[in-house]
Amino acid sequence: MAEELVPTWEDVARRYGRKIYNFAYRLTGNPDDAADLVQDVLLRVRKGLAAYTPGSFDGWLWRITRNAFLDGVRRRQRRPTSPLPDDDRLLASSSPSPDEVLASVRLSEDIQSALLKVPLDFRECVVLCDVVGLTYEEIAEAVEAPVGTVRSRIHRGRRMLRELLTWPV
Amino acid sequence: MARMKHHDRCEDQELLSAYLDGELRPGELDAVVAHLTDCLDCVAEFHRVKEIRAALRTLPELELPERLLPSEHLGPELSAYLDGELATIEQEYVLDHLGECADCRAEFHELDAARTAVRSLPGLEPPEFLMTHRATSPEHHHVRWRIFTAAAGVAAAAAIAVGVLSTPPPASEVDVSMFFDQHNARASVEHGFGAIPAFMPQEGAP
Repeated sequence: MAEELVPTWEDVARRYGRKIYNFAYRLTGNPDDAADLVQDVLLRVRKGLAAYTPGSFDGWLWRITRNAFLDGVRRRQRRPTSPLPDDDRLLASSSPSPDEVLASVRLSEDIQSALLKVPLDFRECVVLCDVVGLTYEEIAEAVEAPVGTVRSRIHRGRRMLRELLTWPV
Repeated sequence: MARMKHHDRCEDQELLSAYLDGELRPGELDAVVAHLTDCLDCVAEFHRVKEIRAALRTLPELELPERLLPSEHLGPELSAYLDGELATIEQEYVLDHLGECADCRAEFHELDAARTAVRSLPGLEPPEFLMTHRATSPEHHHVRWRIFTAAAGVAAAAAIAVGVLSTPPPASEVDVSMFFDQHNARASVEHGFGAIPAFMPQEGAP
């Protein structure tokens, strides 16, 4: 019975691919790097599933994702990155008015630029919490830090973001 | 929360984020709520954090590019595999899939036959008139060149036809290992021709 709880590689790709892509995009601000990360994670998942024992699948998956991301960061360390604006064609399908789209794109560009200025330790916790939607417990497992540390990083990360953005209170 | 006392500068404001996220520990909730009733600094901080949290959570969700989703069958990986251009982990995936998918095996054989045919094309000597400085009219060059390119085209078509016609019988009857032996034999003598790793599963292997 327990074996049935282990998803296939294809299941993981379909169910989590989009989340992983969004996580990577918000952390890097670069669609190509985000796509590379998704491919890297899915390959690691495919290799690791054989040894995976049913448990906290999210914790396991996001730890792999985060490690793949950090490896990618190390590879790109000397390559400058710049945030790109969200592309309308990439956005999830919906039909807001043109004004809403414009305001939303501008806002998300501001937030994306600010996110990239937040130190990685804080940025990854904020993104895992607010973009991916993990609990503090799951984030602690993913970043391999105590829950208290995660709690502090999320709050401090949000404060840094708020200070980097220039909207009126 | 006993820890969040009203000082000149409140400490433990991280509890405000935990409060918004529903992540307070037992016993902390009452203290945070009580503190917020009489500390204007923390109320202002609460609203700032709430605002940025809401903004983060309404960031547009990006669609995963279609090409990143797993396909039922192999595509460009097959050619990349033949050319030895896949990472080890990708090679393993291709091998596993070939072991269990007759359609992809058939596609694999056709691609390999076409690839082999193209690579088997003879190296042609350039026409003599190109290698000499003898003056000839432009029209003469044109005619000679057309004859040369037509001959090359016929040679290419013939080579591909031979390759395709010699494609093995339907995939279900194919002995994959035989094919791999041939492939590796060629790889051993031809520089730049990708060898197939030794761990290709045999036909019918689990």
